[in-house]
Amino acid sequence: MDDLLNEFLTETGESIDVVDVELVKLEQDPNNKEVLDNIFRLVHTIKGTCGFLGLPRLESVAHASENVLGKFRDGELQVSESSVTVILESLDRIKEILAGLEATEEEPDGDDSDLISRLDAIAEGGGAPVQQPEPEPDTVDGEIIDPGLGRSLKPGEVSLEELEAVFANTPGPDGSAATDEPTPSNSSSPNSGASLFDRIGGEDTLAVASHLIAQRVDTEAKLKKYFEGTNQDQRKGRFMGLMLALFQDDLDSADAVGRQLITVAGFDEAQFDGLLELIKSVLTECQVKAEAVDEAVMTFELVRDAVINASKAVTKPKADAAGRAKPGEKQQTTAPEARRTSQSIRVNVDLLEDLMNMVSELVLTRNQLLQITRNMDNSELGVPLQRLSQCTTELQENVMKTRMQPIGNAWAKLPRIVRDLTVDLDKKIELEMLGADTELDRQVLELIKDPLTHMVRNSADHGIEMPAERIAAGKPEAGAITLNAYHEGGHIIIQIKDDGRGISADKLSGKIIEKGLATEGELAGMSEAQIQKFIFHPGFSMAEKVTSVSGRGVGMDVVRTNIEKIGGTIDMVSTVGKGSSFSIKIPLTLAIVAGLIVKAQDERYAIPQISVLELVRATSAEKAGENDHKIELINDTPVLRLRNRLLPLVFLNEVLGFCTREEIEARENSDDFIVVSQVGAFTFGIVVDQVFDTEEIVVKPVAPILKELEFYSGNTILGDGSVIMILDPNGIANKANSSVSDAAAEEGSDETRVRVATGAEKESMLVFVAGADHPKAVPLSLVARLEEISVDSIEKSDGRLMVQYRGALMPLVLADPTVTLREKGSQPVLVFTDRQFTMGLAVDEILDIVEDELDIKLASEENGVIGSAVINGKASEVIDVTYFLGKAFPEWLASKDMSEDASVSRSFERLLVVDDSDFFRNMLRPILSVAGYNVTAVNCAEAALKLMESGAMFDIIVSDIEMPDMSGFEFARAVRENENWKDIKLVALSALSGEKDINRGFDAGFDDYVAKFDKDTLLRSLSQQFKIQGDAA
Amino acid sequence: MNDIVVRENTSIATVGVQDFVTVHLDGQQVGIPVLAVHDVLNAQQITVIPRAPDWVAGVLNLRGKIVTAIDLRRRLGLPPLEEGKSSMSVVVEHNEEPYSLQIDKVGEVLSLEDQLFEKNPVTLDPCWREVSVGIYRLKEQLLPILDVDRLLAFEGKSQAA
Repeated sequence: MDDLLNEFLTETGESIDVVDVELVKLEQDPNNKEVLDNIFRLVHTIKGTCGFLGLPRLESVAHASENVLGKFRDGELQVSESSVTVILESLDRIKEILAGLEATEEEPDGDDSDLISRLDAIAEGGGAPVQQPEPEPDTVDGEIIDPGLGRSLKPGEVSLEELEAVFANTPGPDGSAATDEPTPSNSSSPNSGASLFDRIGGEDTLAVASHLIAQRVDTEAKLKKYFEGTNQDQRKGRFMGLMLALFQDDLDSADAVGRQLITVAGFDEAQFDGLLELIKSVLTECQVKAEAVDEAVMTFELVRDAVINASKAVTKPKADAAGRAKPGEKQQTTAPEARRTSQSIRVNVDLLEDLMNMVSELVLTRNQLLQITRNMDNSELGVPLQRLSQCTTELQENVMKTRMQPIGNAWAKLPRIVRDLTVDLDKKIELEMLGADTELDRQVLELIKDPLTHMVRNSADHGIEMPAERIAAGKPEAGAITLNAYHEGGHIIIQIKDDGRGISADKLSGKIIEKGLATEGELAGMSEAQIQKFIFHPGFSMAEKVTSVSGRGVGMDVVRTNIEKIGGTIDMVSTVGKGSSFSIKIPLTLAIVAGLIVKAQDERYAIPQISVLELVRATSAEKAGENDHKIELINDTPVLRLRNRLLPLVFLNEVLGFCTREEIEARENSDDFIVVSQVGAFTFGIVVDQVFDTEEIVVKPVAPILKELEFYSGNTILGDGSVIMILDPNGIANKANSSVSDAAAEEGSDETRVRVATGAEKESMLVFVAGADHPKAVPLSLVARLEEISVDSIEKSDGRLMVQYRGALMPLVLADPTVTLREKGSQPVLVFTDRQFTMGLAVDEILDIVEDELDIKLASEENGVIGSAVINGKASEVIDVTYFLGKAFPEWLASKDMSEDASVSRSFERLLVVDDSDFFRNMLRPILSVAGYNVTAVNCAEAALKLMESGAMFDIIVSDIEMPDMSGFEFARAVRENENWKDIKLVALSALSGEKDINRGFDAGFDDYVAKFDKDTLLRSLSQQFKIQGDAA
Repeated sequence: MNDIVVRENTSIATVGVQDFVTVHLDGQQVGIPVLAVHDVLNAQQITVIPRAPDWVAGVLNLRGKIVTAIDLRRRLGLPPLEEGKSSMSVVVEHNEEPYSLQIDKVGEVLSLEDQLFEKNPVTLDPCWREVSVGIYRLKEQLLPILDVDRLLAFEGKSQAA
């Protein structure tokens, strides 16, 4: 059964029950105007809705009763027992018809003329002699003269005023008393001023038109079969309703009526077009002006999908359709009499909340009982307890179900919002909603409603481009916003996807700098995704200008906060030009969640399972074997190596103030458990003393005086009756490292953050000893992993040292000729990876990781050394990783010729390096800065162009050729076209060094073309370019 | 009969007799209006809340309800209870939230005539003056009366504590 009919049945059933009671009251107190008004209103609504839905029998009975009631109200008739009896009888009849309707979805056959004539007789009998302004039954079979139409209405037809009234009161019987217009009068209620409606000629024309359309579809061979199963009157009512709704801009109603229109499967686009033709011809026939006709026909496009989808839905077996009652209601096909309208009742939400709380308590008590009996030997309690347990579980499930609502409820308003936006913004947007019947807790639903609306608005406003823009970009004119909801392992995932312009990192960057959220330098080191995520920053609004739709500065951060408040997470992927996709992950319910029970210092705590990614057991450093996880310290910051990533750690003991770091370290001989948690995109580990099991916990809010403690999201009672606190990973992350801002938070996610040298930026350096006494250093960002490789596994092959590493042979290079491999045990090795090349650098000892300014003071002439720098107060040699990579892989480096010393002093020429490879940027920067250049490095051409726009100036640009999104060739062309930058020397740096490539590079505007990995040629080329420039100047 | 008078605390000195539960705190007796007291419990298992203000003793489970326990000694600036001694709980309500006041032990219920009541001496420790409604002059000793609402009005104050 479709929702509309269902709703109608429920509502009408309720109304009738009320009328029943009220009528009896009226009988006792005939002068109570309030009661009478109430009855009249309810009956009027029933009548109106019946007509709207095309239920002629119901409508005529209701109409006749309403007539009598109207006269009561106007004082033209005295309330008498006999008249009330007849009205009650008519209500019974209505109930009968409703029951039939519910069983078969059709009005049952039957003759009401007797009843109606009696009602009419009452109306007539006491009828005032004056001319009745309202429609009045003038024949015994209930034919009614409609003043607006000027002819008699057939049963089932709706008088125009009534339709009007129905539209005015669509929300239903309650609350609309004040606005209800009880007496249908000849003066039609003021319409909303929809010009189209007026231009077409108002209701009269529509009435005629819908009549004609209803008739014609029978004669149109193509359309006929789709309207079988409805009689002409029903059809007429629907067309009338549809047109009224459409022309008066009441889209919701139009949509609903549109779905009613076709009851036969197979109605598709072509048929709809046919129908439009028909409508057009009829409207023209009705002497509507041509432009109005066109406009009118256009409005039908709005319901095209609804009509066609409705037809598609019909293809499902009827039985199935009938069973699809309201969510939560189970079909009872075997007992049709049980399927009465009273099957669903309205329950106060507070009552449900109370019920839920009680059940939560019950669950807790049950758990407690189970825990107690577990420790008892006599099993006398066992059986009843098990039964109790089972009942409780079922009860809990069912009560949870009462709170579940389809997410479609939260989406219901979106089509309208999007439609309005399309008008406001002059865009074309199609909204697709998938998985609308995915259910979730109503509490959660309430909380995500606004964020969702906000995000869809955002997508429509910022995401989707103007039609012209879209066509220019080769996309379909109409943008698409897709909402998708589905279950995934106890969570609900909601995706909001658009195929718009995506989020431009460039534009964002400007804004970020403007708002002071990050410096240019910081931004340069971030990936596009990281920059895009700034939209979640507080006070950040994407809109270029404030529109009425969005862009008031309360943007995505509010959305994020709201979602995180309910334990959810939000993530975003956006590709410039392709669109953005947001995905929200939220727990099914807030009341009962799965919690991981952990221990710190004799106290137990629960961590919500949703934020737990995995559990890792770490062994203390001394006992750790080769493959064991162990906690390591970088300058007092504990980290864990986890699958090629460094995981920042926090000690729960320390966070909760049980012991200081020293104490933790002192007692660190036991195993630690690390709960790897995720907060937004930030992943970190919480070190706990022990991990117990996962338990279903009932989340209770903490007392108001503890609200300020951000470590806890609530508390709960465990099965054994003890109270434990529920930890909030979010708060722990914040507290443990207050510097974990979002920008930094991203760094843990997918890639190692690479710092880029701009001015005196600090660089993490790995300091080690190899050969000579003085320490050596290498930028940490270049190091892929640190390994301890067992000496036994080191093999010699082809005169080179090799080790089997991760299923492949990895060449091992000594960091210094004087390094000797250890006799036994393991050898510390730094692993460097560049694309497919992975090499190990054997060193004597790894000392430390220090954060310091990388300022190379002295260039070195020694192979493999870039120069010396003061790191951590000591002179350290900064090694040249390219040299070692070349040594390990002869093919890696085109030339190892280091003969020329390039470190001729330069007067800080400004150099811009554009390369998407982190490795190369990091490699080139020290080499070039030691050669005396003032280096700025960016990771893509777009970033470089952004610098160009911002007015930065450089003397030379060194650019990679193969870069995603914008290749070096395109970049070069863009640079050459710019007024300010057109004279800058461009040096291409590429692995593609064929003649053709080189020529292509020169064509694109490069001044020189250097093979990648050829450090010397590059330096030579640079000095040459400078020379040229100097000469020119 | 007297509950309205007691709860509002304003007209306390007007008529008749008031009932108070006396509790012992570090040798000092203190009165709590009897109608404010919901439960008196023996020693309970209290879960401490790390990083909470120090006068929050923790949370305890009162028949399936989670109750925040307030260390009354700390709240009133008294030394903590000696090691090994367990405290009792007096459960009161504030803003519809249950709180348990941790005390040394419960004394008795006293019906006190209003004429014995006197305002706080101005020299009273501010910590006490803040939460005490006034003093009853008993024969053996003086009995300060606690204002439960003021005692638990922490909102916005937890920072200072």
